[in-house]
Amino acid sequence: MLPVPLQVPVAPTLQDAGLLALIAVIVALLVVTLAFSAYTVVLRLRHEARRRLRARLAGAWEGPVLRALADPDLAPQVHGAVEARYRLHFVQFALEYSRRVRGEERRTLRALARPYLAPLAGRASSRRAEVRVRAVQTLGALGLPGYEREVLAGLDDPSPVVAMVAARSLARAEFPEHAAPVLARLHRFDGWSPRFLAAMLAAMGPQIAGELRRGLADEGQPAWVRAVEAEALRIQKDLGAADVAARLLGQPQDPDLLIAALRLLEVVGRPEHAAAVRALCGSAHVMVRAYALHSLGTLGDEGDVPRLIEAMEDPSPWVAIHAARGVRQAGAEQLLAHLAASDHPSALLAAQVMEEGRVA
Amino acid sequence: MSELLWAAVLAFNYLVLFYFIALNTVYLGTSFLAFGALRRHAVRMKSLDLTDLITSQAAPPITLLAPAYNEGRTCVESVRSLLTLEYPDYEIVVINDGSTDGTLERMTEAFELEAASRVPTADLPTAEVRQVLRSRRYRTLWVIDKANGGKADALNAGINFCQTPLFCGMDADSLLEPQALIRVVRPFLEDGATVAAGGILRIVNGCKVERGRVVDVRLPGSLLARFQVLEYLRAFLSGRMGWDAIDATLVVSGAFGIFKRSAVVDAGGYATDTVGEDMELIVRLRRHCAERGVTCRVHFVPDPVAWTECPESIRVLARQRDRWQRGLLQSLMRHRVMLFNPRYGTAGVIAFPYFFFLEMLGPVIELLGYVAFVALVLAGRAELLFVVAFLCASVVLGMALSISAVALEELSFRRYPRFLDLLRLFGLGFLENFGYRQLNAFWRLRGTISAFRGVTGWGIMTRKGFAVSDRETAT
Repeated sequence: MLPVPLQVPVAPTLQDAGLLALIAVIVALLVVTLAFSAYTVVLRLRHEARRRLRARLAGAWEGPVLRALADPDLAPQVHGAVEARYRLHFVQFALEYSRRVRGEERRTLRALARPYLAPLAGRASSRRAEVRVRAVQTLGALGLPGYEREVLAGLDDPSPVVAMVAARSLARAEFPEHAAPVLARLHRFDGWSPRFLAAMLAAMGPQIAGELRRGLADEGQPAWVRAVEAEALRIQKDLGAADVAARLLGQPQDPDLLIAALRLLEVVGRPEHAAAVRALCGSAHVMVRAYALHSLGTLGDEGDVPRLIEAMEDPSPWVAIHAARGVRQAGAEQLLAHLAASDHPSALLAAQVMEEGRVA
Repeated sequence: MSELLWAAVLAFNYLVLFYFIALNTVYLGTSFLAFGALRRHAVRMKSLDLTDLITSQAAPPITLLAPAYNEGRTCVESVRSLLTLEYPDYEIVVINDGSTDGTLERMTEAFELEAASRVPTADLPTAEVRQVLRSRRYRTLWVIDKANGGKADALNAGINFCQTPLFCGMDADSLLEPQALIRVVRPFLEDGATVAAGGILRIVNGCKVERGRVVDVRLPGSLLARFQVLEYLRAFLSGRMGWDAIDATLVVSGAFGIFKRSAVVDAGGYATDTVGEDMELIVRLRRHCAERGVTCRVHFVPDPVAWTECPESIRVLARQRDRWQRGLLQSLMRHRVMLFNPRYGTAGVIAFPYFFFLEMLGPVIELLGYVAFVALVLAGRAELLFVVAFLCASVVLGMALSISAVALEELSFRRYPRFLDLLRLFGLGFLENFGYRQLNAFWRLRGTISAFRGVTGWGIMTRKGFAVSDRETAT
């Protein structure tokens, strides 16, 4: 609040006009304040009414749904309990419920909701993004198979949120046939965290490993997309991806792609890939060097241990830590124990990595 | 001479009027933006399956950094609450900042701490680290025991030992809601340019807390604390949400913010020579990125909640506001090159000038405005009707802004379930205009003067604690 007395060396008429204007402003503000208050109260009352309705409906549906999940033949009981005016409420109820169940129960739940999904197909092309996103999300969770067209169209939606919701709906192990359209639209998500995207792709299961491998090998693709594919293959522990990853280490690449390939090799690589990894242990890029040393610990042989020990004194702490983990991976724990007990500059690091090994 | 003086007073009045209009235009603007932003946020949250995220490998590992200075009475409870967060991959690093009240001993006993090996990953300068400890019972719990150096110094020590791409800076006595981390991390998943994100602080006074979790949300009993509830709603839901909508966030609360570790290390960590290290870090991160041509974004996320205790005595609140104002002034003066500078984007062109002229210099103008008001009334040079009308306008505008914040709360989160609490919040929007706002302006003016006088230090913050009383913290 600011009291600003306007001293008035002006003509009385102007002053009166100013006063009138101020009074008009006060009245307008008062109306706005009252409108906000009324809006808030209405919101509260509406929310309370909705909450009570949802609780009542959930109470009426939960029993029949549970029985139908145990015995799908009892589905008619559920449909009998859903009044026409509450069909979309039931869809919402089923959507929330579907997050708590898996496998056959989820399939049964989808079948229970399917008769009520038709109105949502129209909403998937609404002009309002928030309506489209809800429709695509619901159809993706409860309407597949059946509503592929609407969900696939979501991948090309102008709203990035709708596109991501569509991609996440399609990226499920039960629908490997949708891997290709999702992978083809990865470029739409270039701002998203690679880790998030990789987890999303990996969720589609080993059936899409072939497509991921092809993508990783495709030099025409942006490096970040290939890095995401490499990370997804790492999460899937796809042994078949090792050769692809090793091959790309031999060419000049984007550091993030190299790191992703090195991380992949650490999980799925074989001793014959060690040479490609070894070549990157002197990389000028700190994290490439770090992951190369880490992978070398897994893929290399005894002859690599001195190099790893030496790298434990690398000026970058990240390189040093990864090198020490590489030593542990190489099975040279006794050497680490010896270092930890000595006054070697890396004694503390050796002790840390040994403790990590014990916890793991 | 006398006429000249009155002319000067009149001119100053116009400056005050301009300040009033500018300040409230910004407030109305951010409130307006916040309505749209909260709607968009609600849609995003509905489309995100948090349970799915919690169990997936998508969530990046996070280190919680909790500086603790003389938190002996509550540290065990607070850490227990941190151990129950719903997040797939996180570790907790409590930094004992030279406590003298047995904080370390209590933690050692409760969590069976033992000496452990952990190498630093950065070399931000800090006070001496004495030892690193790790819990035998909870392997994700670490304690760094160091000499006292203040909160920023403790956070820097924590960053030095952080091994995850993200860290969460927080107060050891804040209570994070179980899903706070998974919610606040969202901008890092959606936008690779994110370097920091902050959640909302809510006031725990009056709420029922069980085992480190807020189980019943109520308004506090004391009027002073209630005013602060309304203030926090306004500051976070109307203010920060609005600034976030135009990518101009300049503050992430020190009590709960998540940061990209490498960006903070590159920028030099927390500044230890300011009492506003949270704002200073954000301003510096923005400046650092812009000067190197790197895109970076800072986000405010309205639904991850950290519950914090607010002062219930005038004396402690005065100290807190004094410190906040000093911190603001130090941050803005240090980075004044950003003022109106388009190189720093909307943060430099819109947010920085707002904080500089309206928040930093505001109390000076406001308080002098009161003095001029009294002088004019006493001298009979003010048109009484006009003055009263203006007072009414400012009160009603203040109410409109406060109630719009309550409306935002109702539109989005509805944390206060009792209808009576809602009505009380309306009433507070009216009452705060008579005394509380003026006091606030006075404390902030005092903070401004303290900053120019070079006063440093946090002052003692006496708190009641969630379950115990008379807790003192000075970190």
